[in-house]
Amino acid sequence: MKLENEDALDNLIICHQCYTLHEEVPIKDGTKAVCSSCGGILYRYDSKLIEYGLALSITGLIFFILANIFPIVKIELLGHEQFITIPKTFIALFDNGFYVVGLLCAFLIFIFPFMIFIINIVLFTLLKFKVGKTFSKELLILLSHIKPWSMSDIFLISILVALVKLIGYAQINMGTAFWALVVFVIIDLYITKMIHTSEIWMLRRRIYENKGYR
Amino acid sequence: MIEVNEDNLLRCHICEAVNIDKGEETTCRRCGTIIYHEVFSTQKSWAYLITAIIAYIPANLYPMLITKQFGAVEGSTILGGVVLLWEHGSYPIAMIIFVASILIPLMKFLVLIYLLISVKYPIGKDKSVDKHKLYYMTEAVGPWSMIDVFVVAILAALIHLANVEIVAGTAATAFATSVFFTLLAAHAFDERLIKENK
Repeated sequence: MKLENEDALDNLIICHQCYTLHEEVPIKDGTKAVCSSCGGILYRYDSKLIEYGLALSITGLIFFILANIFPIVKIELLGHEQFITIPKTFIALFDNGFYVVGLLCAFLIFIFPFMIFIINIVLFTLLKFKVGKTFSKELLILLSHIKPWSMSDIFLISILVALVKLIGYAQINMGTAFWALVVFVIIDLYITKMIHTSEIWMLRRRIYENKGYR
Repeated sequence: MIEVNEDNLLRCHICEAVNIDKGEETTCRRCGTIIYHEVFSTQKSWAYLITAIIAYIPANLYPMLITKQFGAVEGSTILGGVVLLWEHGSYPIAMIIFVASILIPLMKFLVLIYLLISVKYPIGKDKSVDKHKLYYMTEAVGPWSMIDVFVVAILAALIHLANVEIVAGTAATAFATSVFFTLLAAHAFDERLIKENK
């Protein structure tokens, strides 16, 4: 295979599921390219990606804030009412002396999801106004590093498991934040599934390099 | 014009850019991450994996959850908790906990051990197993092991009355450490080695 220079490698893509090499081809707006050997999605093209991304990230952030300030569940046990919020979950671990687990939980369910949404907002804003070529690159690299460590969806399932364990012992009332968290997780999953990091890299290349911006 | 062999192309595991394999030490041309390091190709992943396996032993021996009820202190291990839930008739929850905290970690250990051995020694030469897919699956299900840790955290935060209290046990730290290091081991595994040994 012959290439003009190393930058021409940007036209190639390796499937993230089966490692097959593909060449990137222009596709119609709103369609996707799939791997020829395993059927995994390689990339999508959407001309409104920035707008969608920005709108979803802001919505997600609002729901994340709501999910953190209101109680997730309230229980009534022996006449006492107790409730938890997301920060309270890991602070309770700190109070009990479980610093390692507490710190890990704080990062996995609070700091990383929050960072991802802030980064997404800044990133899409930069891309929209076509500024910050190097900064957007740094943000994308940071995003790829922390993405595997965000576990809001797993935390949501854990809440349900914990509540099922409590059925029969206590009266359970779902709080406002629980529904906010459900919406947040749906948005989070949608962004992870629909906006792949490699698509943002492709978008970034189209914006900064083809138009000669520096 | 440069001539490139298609088999010599590899993907950066951070930014997914396609790079030319330059041998001993290749840094990604887009994000600068070191993609491959001849000397430490599998050692790093082995080290994380062994740490995870060691941490998994106390995670199963010590209590995960300690219930203090009117002065009576009772601890339950991971397996004990699953058995208890099963006896109470919460079969789906027992299954979830069993899969997330026992099955997934053990499968992950075995898969990673298999992958790490097979890329170095000839037993991995058989092509019937798609190792890229196997690795991808391990990466995808790995974080779900954290369910039990989160459940303990939620219960401990929720139930702390004067008479009835739930606190996390020693196993919570051990189990969280184990899951954390298994995730690191999976991330440290060099996918290029699978390709090389095909």
